[in-house]
Amino acid sequence: MKYRPPAFLRTTAFRQTLLSAGLFAFSSFVILGFVYAASAGMMLRRADTVITEELNTVMEQFDAGGISSIHTYMLERIAGGAGDYLYVMVDRSGRDSGSSNLSWPRDVVPDSDGRVQFSYNRQAVTGVAVSDKGQSEARARILLLPGGYRLLIGLDVDEEINLLERMTTTILAASALALALGVAGGIFVSRRFARRLDDINVVARSVKAGDLKQRAPRNFTGDELDELAENFNGMLDRVEALMHRMRHAGDSIAHDLRTPLTRMRNRLDQALLDEGSLESREAALEQAVSDTDELLSVFNSILSLSRLESGESRASIVRMDPALIAVDLAELYEPVCEDENLEFSSEIQGGMQIYADRGLISQALSNLLENSVKYTPAGGKICLRLRQNSTGWIEYSVTDNGPGIPPDDRERALQRFVRLDSSRSLPGTGLGLSLVKAIVDVHNGQIDLADGSGIPEEGGPGLRASLCLPAAPDADND
Amino acid sequence: MRILIVEDDREAASYIRKGLRESGHVADHAGDGEEGLEMARAAEYDVLVVDRMMPRMDGLSMIEALRGDEDRTPVLILSALGEVDNRVEGLKAGGDDYLVKPYAFAELLARVEALARRRDPEAVRTKLVVGDLEMDLLARTVIREAEEILLQPREFRLLEFLMKHSGQVVTRTMLLEKVWDYHFDPQTNVIDVHISRLRSKIDRPFDRALLHTVRGAGYRLQA
Repeated sequence: MKYRPPAFLRTTAFRQTLLSAGLFAFSSFVILGFVYAASAGMMLRRADTVITEELNTVMEQFDAGGISSIHTYMLERIAGGAGDYLYVMVDRSGRDSGSSNLSWPRDVVPDSDGRVQFSYNRQAVTGVAVSDKGQSEARARILLLPGGYRLLIGLDVDEEINLLERMTTTILAASALALALGVAGGIFVSRRFARRLDDINVVARSVKAGDLKQRAPRNFTGDELDELAENFNGMLDRVEALMHRMRHAGDSIAHDLRTPLTRMRNRLDQALLDEGSLESREAALEQAVSDTDELLSVFNSILSLSRLESGESRASIVRMDPALIAVDLAELYEPVCEDENLEFSSEIQGGMQIYADRGLISQALSNLLENSVKYTPAGGKICLRLRQNSTGWIEYSVTDNGPGIPPDDRERALQRFVRLDSSRSLPGTGLGLSLVKAIVDVHNGQIDLADGSGIPEEGGPGLRASLCLPAAPDADND
Repeated sequence: MRILIVEDDREAASYIRKGLRESGHVADHAGDGEEGLEMARAAEYDVLVVDRMMPRMDGLSMIEALRGDEDRTPVLILSALGEVDNRVEGLKAGGDDYLVKPYAFAELLARVEALARRRDPEAVRTKLVVGDLEMDLLARTVIREAEEILLQPREFRLLEFLMKHSGQVVTRTMLLEKVWDYHFDPQTNVIDVHISRLRSKIDRPFDRALLHTVRGAGYRLQA
């Protein structure tokens, strides 16, 4: 199997922390390096100042009494314990003047100020044994004197050099430590991050395997992972609801289609077995065709409903005058009512604007009107109204004085395939009102069922079904 | 009429073919879009009946290719996809009418015959005549036996559609789509009611009926 690094090493968080740890280590290195450069410069400048001061003193002796005075001064200084000072004077041929505590250092090239830095044997100068090899660092200044004499005044800077070396080590160590801490922090943070993501992944996998009940754990801090978990759970809720609805719809479809299919089958069977006349067979066939039509219409309603409810079908919603829809429908149904001996009236307010799909709203209103026509007994009244109600919504309503729907049943009447007991004897699919509801939902509207214009003691309270849609804002504000 | 059926389902194709032949038409069959395109290019057809979903070349591609050749033969698209967007797609691709599966054969036949009629230049016609019934499209008047018949605007459009397709069967769904522009099926017999109103105005006062009911299919206006 191919090697895969542990999960936390593959996380974005780990890579991010690694990057910032590297940057952090690098910046500490630069800062410490700057401190080093500053301290080193300061220390060496101080040594150089001391050397220059001593050189001035020596030159004062020279001004007073020439080479011999320097000679005397230096001897005195050496005899009194020169400390960290180094004195060397050689003549033209390079022979020591005898007043030095050091031999002329080899291979030193002075800079333009005559300054040099070199190693020398400290033990030979002081006679005191030192722990290490005895090599020590010194800075010095070289001066050419009249008569070919060369003078070197130096100062031991071993301690400073050692300090600087220790500083270098410390800086490198500190930078390495910063890097190591950064990486460790990165691992820690990314493991935490990876673990929380892992929780979500575990849920996703079990959902994929079919367990829709699982939900990602949340810590309610509102951070981005918590938000992810929240959205993820919201998505699962929706998926679960859809699955549930689908299963329910499937059951209902099976139930609703099985009955007419069985009936049709029996009828055809009967026609096959019957020794009856050609006409009776023909009648059976015609009945079968009309049964098929009914089945198809149920089937189509189910499909439209599912499309609407799933949000899959994006209705073609445009800005329009709601009165256009109402006028057309009034004109379509007025003769139907007349035929059924129902009194039809319409009150349609003009000059309003809504965003709507003409076909869908027409279908919804047509369903409501057909319900009223179907349930209202002859001699009844049906009224189609369009107005802007007191809350500013555009309200279509169909009111009749038929039997109505008892308040307790109204919620249920809007669900799929629910046919109230009172309507079971009449033809219908039980999908009409749920289709209306789905259409209203697509338009962000509301559907409401209430008592209609009937008298309860007589034919019943009637039904007033209203669709409320939000009014479109004025065109100027668009 | 010569009709080409482009449909991959052999059984459905032979059902349509048989029906069309029995109605006195000549019908050929192509099993997929490519074959259909070849046959449509090779011969003159009055109407093409094209299934939307087929192997090799689907119906819409075939229609687009045909329209690309400046071939304006009317096309009726058959499809199991019945949503408004699908319908619009089909008409955009160059289809002239759209019929959702499953359908009654009467519906298909009525639409095919209506499409063939559409080829006749009718834009310039300002007067429709069926028997002794006359419609003036400019003056918006209807006259029968020298007597003016007053119609509501919708009744006028309904009659106009029937007259333009006189002698042909028009189905209730066709009327709902073309006269009212509704693409849903009302449960009740709204169309029948409107037809009966129209009938009471154009037929009842006169001796001979022009508007006939065709059982199991729809209506026919015929002298």
